[in-house]
Amino acid sequence: MQHGSGEVRGSMATSASAQMALHDDHGSQQIQNPGLHDDFFDQMLSGLPSAWPELGNPKSPWDASAAQKLFRIDLTGKPPDESQPEAATEGLRYASYDEATMLASRLPQSQGSGGSSPTGEAMMLQLNNRHILPVVVPLQAAVGGGVGESGLLPLPLTLGSGGAADPRIIVETPRDEMDGPYKSPDQNGGEELYSGLGGSIRAAQAATGQHFHHPQNHGGAAAPAGVGQGPAASASSGGGAPQQKQKVRARRGQATDPHSIAERLRRERIAERMKALQELVPNANKTDKASMLDEIIDYLKFLQLQVKVLSMSRLGGAAAVAPLVADISTEGAGARAGGDGAAVGNNDSLTATEHRVAKMMEEDMGSAMQYLQGKGLCLMPISLASAISSAACRPSAGGLVSAPPPPATSAAAAAESPSSSPSASALTVQSAAAADTTAPKR
Amino acid sequence: MDSKGSACSNPNPNPTFGPSKLMLAFRFLRALSIVHRTTPASSPTCRGRRIERAAYASMAYSAGTSRAWSRAVLRRLHHRARRRAVAPRRLSTTAGNRAEALRRLVPGGAGMDYCTLLEETADYTKCLSMQVELMQGIVDSASSNGR
Repeated sequence: MQHGSGEVRGSMATSASAQMALHDDHGSQQIQNPGLHDDFFDQMLSGLPSAWPELGNPKSPWDASAAQKLFRIDLTGKPPDESQPEAATEGLRYASYDEATMLASRLPQSQGSGGSSPTGEAMMLQLNNRHILPVVVPLQAAVGGGVGESGLLPLPLTLGSGGAADPRIIVETPRDEMDGPYKSPDQNGGEELYSGLGGSIRAAQAATGQHFHHPQNHGGAAAPAGVGQGPAASASSGGGAPQQKQKVRARRGQATDPHSIAERLRRERIAERMKALQELVPNANKTDKASMLDEIIDYLKFLQLQVKVLSMSRLGGAAAVAPLVADISTEGAGARAGGDGAAVGNNDSLTATEHRVAKMMEEDMGSAMQYLQGKGLCLMPISLASAISSAACRPSAGGLVSAPPPPATSAAAAAESPSSSPSASALTVQSAAAADTTAPKR
Repeated sequence: MDSKGSACSNPNPNPTFGPSKLMLAFRFLRALSIVHRTTPASSPTCRGRRIERAAYASMAYSAGTSRAWSRAVLRRLHHRARRRAVAPRRLSTTAGNRAEALRRLVPGGAGMDYCTLLEETADYTKCLSMQVELMQGIVDSASSNGR
């Protein structure tokens, strides 16, 4: 609560909704001096642009009677009921959103000032004298063009003192985290005068110390920009600094300092990374972040354990590889790899090697493996080989394949025998780096 | 002797793609053959450990050096080639220490911020699952052919 002289309050437009002046719940508590309201109301409205009387249009709920409800004017100097929680103003916010847009469309362009389509600005109504009660006037000024978004345009309205013949409505909306300087708008009558600021927010901000929140849209950005440039008549210089922020406007309940924005960005990035992780891990029922993290950790541990176990199971390498060896005879005259010339010459030798290896395998697995490795070859299952060969750029089929020389690709092409069963054939893969005809490279 | 370290001489034909199964299979099989060739049959446990190291090495090489975790794995591998390495201990996840546990699991996770840690975890998990799939396939085909 600001000083006792007057409080500036109002409802802040949320990101999505316009701030509506109409608020039934709000109204009853606001009306304190209906009679006086009329006087002020007339005074205020008299100076308003011609379009504004349209507000009384029954089409729009925002009629004069309703507007009066918002004017918590207490000329007696008694501060308005501070107990009016923000919730009430919140309700204001969510009231008829469409009406605000209707009003916005009606506002004349004459209101236009430097501020370009300051949407999302809260309107503040401020009486020049110290007994200013915050009033929320949802007006979406069509400044600088039609504004399709919801939002309120703070129209600085000077009433009474200050000699301002320029009627402007300054609606000031309190904020939760408004710090001290913001909460005390400049109540001086003269300070509400802003020349050439018909519907500009600058006036409101300068006068009221920029209490309003803007919905998180760029529309609000223009207004603060304009406000910053506005006449620095207001003593609320402290409020000027954050108002010049041209970036995203925070919603009500969020600070606009760069720290929180960066914090928000960081949180969003973390959230999307968590989502990506969630897709990798099986059985991902995203209940909450903590359990999700536990799932991820457990899955990682499980994978690492699997690697360990699988590597242990390959003990006795020869024994493990033996099953891979099948009767090479079935491969027989399988298609040879379409290698280059160097490779072609190898194919015959490879075939011979195959037979040799097959024979050796039947006798002694270990020596067969050693023979193979001495030649720079190894065994691989056909299913794997087929996968590799199909993925490789030079698919080959049948027999032994000698990999192409490694200038371009290092992938080894695996031979497969289409006729033989997938699991029954032995394949030898010649590593790309291995020389084709030269001695074993290893 | 760093028998697994020779796998880095092959350029990655698919630099723009993510983890490549083909390259992984190639590298791992080659490393496997090297292990089988070089280790004596008398030390089965030693071979198991070597195979595991070969698995991680081929994983890291195929992932490339653009990833923090792959760099950390290779660093760890090269360091351990010189001196006796100790198996990494993995403590249980405490309720309030999930980020710490994650850092311990993911290689190189100690020195990065949380956001990067999640990203590296995703990539590491992808490569690790591919490696496990590969090894499982090899073992399966080996066992199905069991004679």
